[in-house]
Amino acid sequence: MASLGIDVLFKGTNFLRLLQGLWVSIEISLISVILSIVLGLVIGMLMTIHNPLLKAVLKVYLETVRIMPQMVLLFIVYFGTTRVFGWDMSAESSAIFVFTFWGTAEMGDLVRGSIKSIPNIQFESAFALGMDKVQTYIYIILPQTVRRLIPLSINLITRMIKTTSLVMMIGIVEVLKVAQQIIEANRKVSPNAAFGVFAVVFLLYFIVCWPISRLAVYLEKRWA
Amino acid sequence: MKNNFVKRITSGLLVTGLLAASLTACGSSASTSEVAEEKEGKVEAAADADAGFRTVDEIKESGTINIGVFSDKSPFGYVDENGEYAGYDVYFAERIGKDLGVDINYVSTEAANRIEYLQTGKVDIILANFTVTEERAQEVDFALPYMNVALGVVSPSDAVIESLDDIGADDQVIVISGTTAETYLTKNYPDIKLQKYDAYAEAKTAFENGNGVAWANDNTEVIAFAIENEGYEVGIPSLGDQDTIAPAVTKGNESLLNWLNDEIESLGSENFFHADYEETLLDTYGADYEDTLVVEGGK
Amino acid sequence: MNTDILIEYLPLYKDALFLTLRIGWQGIFLAFVIGLIGSAILHFKIPVLKSIVGVHIELFRNTPLLVQLFFIYFALPKVGIQVTAETCGKLGLGLLGGAYMIETFRSGLEAIPTIQTESALSLGMNDFQTLWHVILPQAVSISVPGLLANVIFLLKETSVFSTISLMDLMFTAKDLIGMYAKTIECLFLLVVFYLIMLLPISIIGAIVERRMRYGQFGD
Repeated sequence: MASLGIDVLFKGTNFLRLLQGLWVSIEISLISVILSIVLGLVIGMLMTIHNPLLKAVLKVYLETVRIMPQMVLLFIVYFGTTRVFGWDMSAESSAIFVFTFWGTAEMGDLVRGSIKSIPNIQFESAFALGMDKVQTYIYIILPQTVRRLIPLSINLITRMIKTTSLVMMIGIVEVLKVAQQIIEANRKVSPNAAFGVFAVVFLLYFIVCWPISRLAVYLEKRWA
Repeated sequence: MKNNFVKRITSGLLVTGLLAASLTACGSSASTSEVAEEKEGKVEAAADADAGFRTVDEIKESGTINIGVFSDKSPFGYVDENGEYAGYDVYFAERIGKDLGVDINYVSTEAANRIEYLQTGKVDIILANFTVTEERAQEVDFALPYMNVALGVVSPSDAVIESLDDIGADDQVIVISGTTAETYLTKNYPDIKLQKYDAYAEAKTAFENGNGVAWANDNTEVIAFAIENEGYEVGIPSLGDQDTIAPAVTKGNESLLNWLNDEIESLGSENFFHADYEETLLDTYGADYEDTLVVEGGK
Repeated sequence: MNTDILIEYLPLYKDALFLTLRIGWQGIFLAFVIGLIGSAILHFKIPVLKSIVGVHIELFRNTPLLVQLFFIYFALPKVGIQVTAETCGKLGLGLLGGAYMIETFRSGLEAIPTIQTESALSLGMNDFQTLWHVILPQAVSISVPGLLANVIFLLKETSVFSTISLMDLMFTAKDLIGMYAKTIECLFLLVVFYLIMLLPISIIGAIVERRMRYGQFGD
């Protein structure tokens, strides 16, 4: 289908570069997800503590993340922090920071939900057996929470990967930017490249995200 | 329920408050530090690593220079099919890296981000076809020019626009956000509806797709587009002032600015930019434009 | 921060807010319609259509809106399908949102016990009457919190409209920064305007969620 411009992908290292661009997105999401899960567990447990000040702070945090588009957060962190605090964050670390900031809140809320869903009697039984608070959390509550959380965190991975398409806006050369570069470099010889290249990018995202979200559905059903 | 309602409002207000506070704080702290910098004088500023830029010595020491270029603006700055940066701007960038004896880290930039990248110290030099204007010169420092430019407007051959008065009330003109074309049209022709894109690749594809009646940009760019793509004509080849294109550095980075000026002057003796033109632009423009476009030795 | 600049830019942001809301609501309305129709198709397991809805959900839930918009706006015209930026925005939001709305409504439908359908049918109602008078009113009200969450999600997603030349809030901020480099003022206004747009919906969502919970537990 030369006329649809898919052929440009087989010139030089074009297709390889597209895949490398995709890997940039996946890498950023994976790092952010891992950080989010770890920090989210902590934040989630903090959310269950009855302390008005702590509650208020976490509430503000959660609402900020819920209301502000990720793209706005990216701009604030990438351009804003350098201006305000003089931090020189690279685009990649800004992206990881924003995605972790966002993911931690989401994870925290999920963790809070799953801890809350564990019947009170389990806490009471553990205490009755002579365990202290920390032991109860480590041996009784967390293992159950984690199991409930795994499908939800997998969902978070796909959401992260999808959201990484925005990092193009702060100058990270990921799959979409590579796509634009390829279209631009071949505009003369292959004027329809926009169709083929964007169609392939669309499919690439689907090929990456679809199996992951199927896995989440499967685990949710199995472990529910 | 009421409780929750109040909580959300409070938290929302808090978010605004915090952001406002931090932003004001930063605004004022930024201006204080600017004042402080001026007082301390240039010697101090050059030694200050937190000033947001790197001196020539610091760049040499680190072994890498960060240069902001376009990655989708052929033939000035683009990425070829092997993933290598190429173009008129990049040819010059390569020489800068060589003469400084450092590796080059290319940072892909969009038009609207160029000032931002310099002010936040994310790149050392912007070599992204950056037109020298008064407004920009207040924000960044320009070195000597290496290219001439004016604005131009390209339109499809079957509906060529030869004057901006031809543009109907409902017609949209494509521009790229953060370019001189955008600023010029916004200021001088506020009634023309602009359709703005971030990236060159997006703007050109949208223009090809017929989303606007014309595309206004640097005339170099629109001329190249009309030459390379059949069915388009540059109806307005020169609009607004004759401007120049120059490398830009962070405001106050005198050491790098002086180095660049010396470099551009000394490259003039070997006709470097003519060689650059022949290497990168000849295919597109032919020999006719060489003397109009190239600025040699900074004059 | 310079207040004069804030005041100077305010009208631009106001226009952008209206544009975001106009396209946003139309897109969300489309998503709502797709959601209702799609969930009904899945609920009644209508052959062929069921598979189409399934593919739609998977395709749009597993790709970013930005890529969907790029495809509709930049790629489709190459094969002769031309859309304006506004239509593209509404369509993209509608198709993406539809995929999420279908799931939200479906879980609402599934929450209605089968006995209600059976009772309605035994009272002599036909399939459509049962759906329209008995099932949907309950299903939709159960779905309201999820629905509002979707609305917030979709309005947030409109921030990518800037890439297809729509002058939304994000674009206005980026554009002004690009032209005049007043970064801090521009980002501040951006945050304020997103709060103006989304905080009220978030508050309504919280109230509704509370209400629903009371309703369920018969408080």
